[in-house]
Amino acid sequence: MSLSGKTAIVTGAGTGIGKGIALALAARGTKVSVHYNASEAGALDTCKQIEASGGECLLIQADVSKEQDIRRMVDAAAAHWGGIDILVNNAALQLNQDWRDYTEDQFEQVMATNLKGYWQCMQAVIPYMKVSKSGRIILISSIHAKRPTDFDVVYAMTKGGIKMLGRESAIELAQYGITVNTVEPGAVDVGKYRQSHRAPDRRKFPLGRVGLPADVASLVCYLASEESSFMTGTAIRLDGAGMLM
Amino acid sequence: MRLSNKVVFITDAGSESGRALSLRLAQDGAHLVLNSKANDAGIPNLAQACRAFGSQVVVVRADLRHRASIAGVLEQVSGQLGFIDILLHNNSSHERASVEDGSEDGFLRVLRENAKTAFCCTQAIGGQMADRGSGTVLYLGSIHAEKPSGAAFSYSVSQGAIQMLAQEAALFLGRHGVQVNYLQLGPMDDADRMFGSTISALYDNYRRKIPGGAVGTYDELASIISFLGTGEARCLNGACLRLDGGFLLHYMDHKMAKPVGEEDSKT
Repeated sequence: MSLSGKTAIVTGAGTGIGKGIALALAARGTKVSVHYNASEAGALDTCKQIEASGGECLLIQADVSKEQDIRRMVDAAAAHWGGIDILVNNAALQLNQDWRDYTEDQFEQVMATNLKGYWQCMQAVIPYMKVSKSGRIILISSIHAKRPTDFDVVYAMTKGGIKMLGRESAIELAQYGITVNTVEPGAVDVGKYRQSHRAPDRRKFPLGRVGLPADVASLVCYLASEESSFMTGTAIRLDGAGMLM
Repeated sequence: MRLSNKVVFITDAGSESGRALSLRLAQDGAHLVLNSKANDAGIPNLAQACRAFGSQVVVVRADLRHRASIAGVLEQVSGQLGFIDILLHNNSSHERASVEDGSEDGFLRVLRENAKTAFCCTQAIGGQMADRGSGTVLYLGSIHAEKPSGAAFSYSVSQGAIQMLAQEAALFLGRHGVQVNYLQLGPMDDADRMFGSTISALYDNYRRKIPGGAVGTYDELASIISFLGTGEARCLNGACLRLDGGFLLHYMDHKMAKPVGEEDSKT
């Protein structure tokens, strides 16, 4: 599956799933804008790995809870690469705050990053994708768009909102040749998992393991490719059947 | 009477749905806390009509986007009516807007008036119910928590968020004896004005896409709420109940009923 010569923005590419996606896209020939907000060291490492493998990337810092920052990021990426073919919305906040203790500021912060930020990143790339009459927008959501988290109610609310953002934007942007699909990962080992969990129980994780960033990334690469051109408005659960157990 | 002496908190009580709910629940013996916006001129008459059924009614003006404002009102109300038994989150702010052209202000307004008020009410009123070990929370939502309209994306996003809130609250309040459910309302009389779209044909001739041919009414909704308010169906928790007459199931347009006298129309 070649993505050679394509250009992408991956938000939250300094850590975890976003990093895995940026590396996988670059490995398939995509020129990647590696976005970060606070994880500068991680993002620099992502760029280092891409360049070491002969890939091309652009490092961009932005706070995706701020529209102005988003516009600056997208315009810079488009100017640098001469357009934007792929947007992967991935940067999100998860505070794991008890429902009683959530403050209004925290509520606003999580909504602004996870929901408003996803929409405004999408809104900012539309003009560029309209020029090329094609585009791939991929929303990294969570299994918690389908089942409660039971530890972060506002995070789950944003994932429920992203489900509808994906569906609404898919039917609206189809006229421009832009597809929008959502990936809903279950538990993914991004390092922290290994430290806090024992070997997965097969009665909860039938494959005997949790997901890896590379698992999410390979699906994202398919959704970013020409091979998925008839697929839009879907939300794909990627949890090794964990939700069925 | 099935809701005798239950205390019900109704948000956006001055809306059409709020009025129908208030009147029905008053008839069923409930006492009411009617929350509405300051400029809602119809509230005094509504309160009077409810009192005529023997209901005790308190009118309040909490800003539901802020937990502290709700807490203040709860303190005021507890001295008059006691604790809240049933919360009806009835806010349904709507804006026709596209993903491509929607404004940040509009997006935030809809998110805050729908999803944030739902969250703050859950924290404040649901929290009080959890402390007491009983209560019922109902979010009056929409089929657009699942089905895109192509007309009002921020509304759909807000409903998707509230639907997940309901599932979360069914766990964290459910563990304390509180029953929580989300209702997906289907098309009412003005549905094409709100959701008609050049992007989606969903609301073209929408009445005939309802197998029974009749759009929903707020009186019907009130009847369902009245039953759910009794708490008799304890196994109903964390559910998303679709109240659309089967509208979303329609597929073959030519098989749909054509009401007498209705012509084909395009939105």
